[in-house]
Amino acid sequence: MSQPLLGITGLSKRYPNGTQALDSVGLRVGAGELVALLGPNGSGKSTLLRCAVRLLEPDSGSVRVADTELIGLRGTALRRARTRVALIFQQARLVRRRSALDNVAAGALAHHPGPRTALGWLPPGERARAAALLARVGASEIAGQRADTLSGGQAQRTAIARALAQRPVVLLADEPVANLDPEAAAATMALLRELAHTERLAVLCVLHQPALALEFADRVVLLNRGRVVLDQACSDTDLATLAGAG
Amino acid sequence: MSRPAQHLSLARRLGRWLVVFVALLVLGQALVVAEVDPSALVEGLGGVARLVADGLPPDPAALPSAGLAVLQTVDIALVATVVATLLAIPFGAVAARPRTGGQLLSAPIRAVAAFLRAIPDLVWALVFVAAVGLGPFAGVLALTVHSVGMLVRLFAESIEEMDSGPAEALLAAGATRVQVFSHAVMPELLPTLGSLALYRLEQNVRSSLVLGFVGAGGIGFQLLSAMEEFQYRQASMLLLVLFALITVFELGSARVRAALR
Repeated sequence: MSQPLLGITGLSKRYPNGTQALDSVGLRVGAGELVALLGPNGSGKSTLLRCAVRLLEPDSGSVRVADTELIGLRGTALRRARTRVALIFQQARLVRRRSALDNVAAGALAHHPGPRTALGWLPPGERARAAALLARVGASEIAGQRADTLSGGQAQRTAIARALAQRPVVLLADEPVANLDPEAAAATMALLRELAHTERLAVLCVLHQPALALEFADRVVLLNRGRVVLDQACSDTDLATLAGAG
Repeated sequence: MSRPAQHLSLARRLGRWLVVFVALLVLGQALVVAEVDPSALVEGLGGVARLVADGLPPDPAALPSAGLAVLQTVDIALVATVVATLLAIPFGAVAARPRTGGQLLSAPIRAVAAFLRAIPDLVWALVFVAAVGLGPFAGVLALTVHSVGMLVRLFAESIEEMDSGPAEALLAAGATRVQVFSHAVMPELLPTLGSLALYRLEQNVRSSLVLGFVGAGGIGFQLLSAMEEFQYRQASMLLLVLFALITVFELGSARVRAALR
């Protein structure tokens, strides 16, 4: 494997209701690699991603992004580390009353912690960069459009551009194509693969469709009941194997 | 019908009659304690008719002084609403429990806001008239304090009820909580906040009329003076001006609120 940018080791999480969502999960994603994370509902996929950016606190384990350990970080150190791991959600989660451009530029706020951005101002440099990022994801024509007028595919592209505005080295995507039609889903997956390969990002993408995973990912990891039950290169596996393992 | 089912049905019916009985009891005591006496109203109708007759036609001579008083009434409400809104936004954000991180301060701020709104603005006006003397400034202070209490609660509830997705996305991207508030919460909430502030302005215009009765400035003070001096034609003119003022305000604010949506 190429140099791992995301290294998760022994990650465990039990919810207050007693559900063991993650049970000593370990996986690595290298630079320039797109890894698909598959598994049935409730297998811990989304929990894993949320723990990886500390939106949820894991009970134990380690999450390393490049050379930084995320577990245990607090305050400014955690915010700084979070800029290197971008999370894309199932819903694009854009600010509806703002333009696509402003939404993308807001992804870079962590790099500008001064009082002006605290009052709602966006640095002109970041707006110019946001325009370039929208062009990068093939959505420059919607830059001035309000987010609540975007189609599902356009909104998800904007969310990906916002994630890139963070200047991340790791991209986590939580079912980014679940609400898209097949055409938009394939286009979004192609974009994620292209970003992984050309920008040398480590991309971990939760998916529900094994066929999509085999078509676009470099490697597939299968979770079941909070445990990794399969971790294989896509070239070495097929739909039947995935069905059997799950 | 089986015996347990019969018992259940009887218990339900008894329960309903009990609720009706208690409701009638509560209403009955309210009528007694409030000294509701329809015969007094019938006897007093003649007095009301005389008052109305004495007040007609409205005296246009009251108009010039009413103009300044109307302006003062609106300005009291305007200044109080703007100041209260500016104060309530940050306090409301901290008081909102799940999103903006003010969990430690949430309960104390909510308690202070509850205290401020529990005391009627008229009582606050009496307090501030004693503190800063007769005049519109006492009215401004009274309405500001009461409005802060109301708006902090409404703003906090609006923040708690909004979609947390965009805020969570920026938080995950490493933004500070203040940045999350100004870039994700405020833009989404602005129409709601604007609408609540406008509604508050409407209420404050109405309240500032009453505050005039205790010497806190505005047209209410003139109305009280006219009534006390038996200048009923002047009073009716002032009432007409009040009616026009409230109508214009309600129509205007309804339009602005619709535009904000």
